[in-house]
Amino acid sequence: MFDTAWIANFHRAAGLAAPDAIFWGALLLVAGALAGEVIARNSRLPRLVGYTLAGCAAALAGYGPDIPLTGMTRLVLDIALALLLFEIGSRVRLRWLRFNPALLWTSLAEAAAGGAAVFAALLWMGVTMPVAAACAVISIPSSAAVAGRVALELGAEGQVTDRMILLTALNTLYAVLALTVLRGWWHAGQATDVMAALGLLAQSFLGSLLLAALLAGLVAAAARRLDLRNESSVLLVLGLVVLALGAARMAHLSTLLVPLLAGLLLRNVTDRPWIWPRHFGTAGGVMVLMMFVIVGASWSPAALVAGGLAGLVLVAARAIGKGVMVLALARPAGASARQGLALAVTLTPLSGTALVLLSELHHAGPELAMQVAPIVLSAVAILELLGPIAVQAALRLAGDLAPGANAVKEQR
Amino acid sequence: MSLEPFASSRPLTMGVELELQIVNTHDYNLAPAAADLMRLMKGRRIPGDVKPEITRGMIEMATGICENHAQALAELREIRDNLVDCARKLDVRLCGGGTHPFQDWSRMRIYDTPRFHEISELYGYLSKQFTIFGQHVHIGCPGPDQALVLLHGMSRFIPHLIALAASSPFVQGTDTGFHSARLNSVFAFPLSGRAPFVQRWDDFEVFFGKMARTGVVKSMKDFYWDIRPKPEFGTIEVRVLDTPLTVEKAAALAGLIQCLARWLRTERPYALNEDDYLPYTFNRFQACRFGLGATFVDPTSGEHRLLRDDLLSIFDKLEVHAMELRAEEAIVLLRNEIKGLGNDAGWIRQQQEREHLLPEVVRLQALRWQGAAA
Repeated sequence: MFDTAWIANFHRAAGLAAPDAIFWGALLLVAGALAGEVIARNSRLPRLVGYTLAGCAAALAGYGPDIPLTGMTRLVLDIALALLLFEIGSRVRLRWLRFNPALLWTSLAEAAAGGAAVFAALLWMGVTMPVAAACAVISIPSSAAVAGRVALELGAEGQVTDRMILLTALNTLYAVLALTVLRGWWHAGQATDVMAALGLLAQSFLGSLLLAALLAGLVAAAARRLDLRNESSVLLVLGLVVLALGAARMAHLSTLLVPLLAGLLLRNVTDRPWIWPRHFGTAGGVMVLMMFVIVGASWSPAALVAGGLAGLVLVAARAIGKGVMVLALARPAGASARQGLALAVTLTPLSGTALVLLSELHHAGPELAMQVAPIVLSAVAILELLGPIAVQAALRLAGDLAPGANAVKEQR
Repeated sequence: MSLEPFASSRPLTMGVELELQIVNTHDYNLAPAAADLMRLMKGRRIPGDVKPEITRGMIEMATGICENHAQALAELREIRDNLVDCARKLDVRLCGGGTHPFQDWSRMRIYDTPRFHEISELYGYLSKQFTIFGQHVHIGCPGPDQALVLLHGMSRFIPHLIALAASSPFVQGTDTGFHSARLNSVFAFPLSGRAPFVQRWDDFEVFFGKMARTGVVKSMKDFYWDIRPKPEFGTIEVRVLDTPLTVEKAAALAGLIQCLARWLRTERPYALNEDDYLPYTFNRFQACRFGLGATFVDPTSGEHRLLRDDLLSIFDKLEVHAMELRAEEAIVLLRNEIKGLGNDAGWIRQQQEREHLLPEVVRLQALRWQGAAA
């Protein structure tokens, strides 16, 4: 995972056993937690900025994880994202789209325009078509991690927060489906074998749906019998989500799709409120923290040199594509112009979801993924600090944060 | 600032104001969506109007001047339907109930107007605890002296009205044991309680002048009395009702108050006497705490009765007036409630007993408010 040369030499010299996954995982946790608390005490920024900074420091020192993510880093990312996506999915009432159709148009338009803008801009830069297409698909989703985490830590509530969560759930869904099509298409050897691609899509979607339904059913059964607001009872749900994630990995199903669909099913099959501590309490919180450190570390100065300019173009094109659509449809969707602007900003972060999509792409076509990686990693690097800070400012602009909200100071 | 002159209004006309809860559809906590709702309501033609309230999880709806129960009900339904429609576009819901059963007052946000910020600064946490939801009923009076007489006559029925309308058993996640815990928050304010016993407007002006000279009050708005005259409208305003769970109940309560006013005005069944206020706070406490099962101390005879029984005998006396005012339906609804579950507080407790989940109870309240069968 990390370049462990110096430590390897040190422990050998000291006559100790080699450091294992627990050692590295704990180091990640300590570094992230420490940086998070330093940020929380000395600024008004959310802690995740600190987690990310800890990761950045590791990346700068050359200890970034290998891309595509494998082993423990991938596992942590999968678990954390599964929890966040399940949580986000379980807050999305699809009936909202029926009562407010302009929101559905917003969702479709921002995803399509964001992807199209990235595709066009990268082609214009001279990037090849497959690479531009892959980059476009990977940049469709906004960050479930930042949306879920910033809103929680700052206690954000209001229309922009709700809409950010809705649009993030939907664009993540679109991206996973689009990537599946892309993979099928790529598998079929660049030929335009549409049927094969669609077949793969149907197969993976139905499989994911089945597993998601099973998970949703079990969680609903648990929630009816237990009070999930209790930190101990909720561990059962945490276990179920992780179990479903394991099953998804075994069946080669999307680790993003299964928890997201399960959350959506849970919310939309019955109206009863499902309430549990965010991230399923402290246990899930550990995973989320470690994920931010890993994402923060998943770039290298070399990648930035290779793909920095293209990454910057991607970020700009994506923000413009998404932003124009969200702003244009703000009024019809019943939001003020200020809320529209804020919502557009909250969709800009790009993080863990993109890394997982990149890794999935790697399974399908390693050569393609190697070309895509520098661009996507640069974009992630550009947005990983800027994104959360912009989201915080946007939520404040929209009035979704209590005046002077500062998670730390309020809790003290 | 001196007391404004008392406008004249047609006797026995009425107006209804309801403070509503705006809740999210995720955990059914209060949602800060008042400004969004106001924006969406702007272009809509409704009778009466819709106003923001002190915290952003509340909104107030008001009918225009209504002749009778049917008109009030029709107006309330129309405003309700418009509000529910706008709320759906925002994925929030509206509901009745005098308190939100589990909201954390420290997280409430003040609606952005100078007056609300001023109040918030003066009263501190009290103003946030004031995130409570009431129904106000205005009754038109031809002149100020008649208004004061009606006010003191109506005071006798404050316990009955409290018990009928009570819908706030839960506060901050716990069962308070009260039927109307909302009124406990009102009583915390320094100028709550009852109006002074004066029956002529000249005397009331003297009282107001003395109070204003102390600097304690500037306008009638600073009094949080159970019933207060509203010179601007030419009405008296009954303020002890918790917001009921349905507009039908709200209209019925308004209809009852209108019948009481007509009875008091035409028959003068009781001579006014300041001593009638002696058991006032006792009766009021009993009604808040025990609802329809409260002990009612008859101010004239000193007799102790069950509030429920006293109410049923009053309904009998109101029969003629209900017919004249075409408010029979209102009385029937209330009578059936008394014989059934009692008040909305009883219904809320029953739901919680079954669901063991307050957010689910709020969801069911929201369904009832929309007019769907729960």
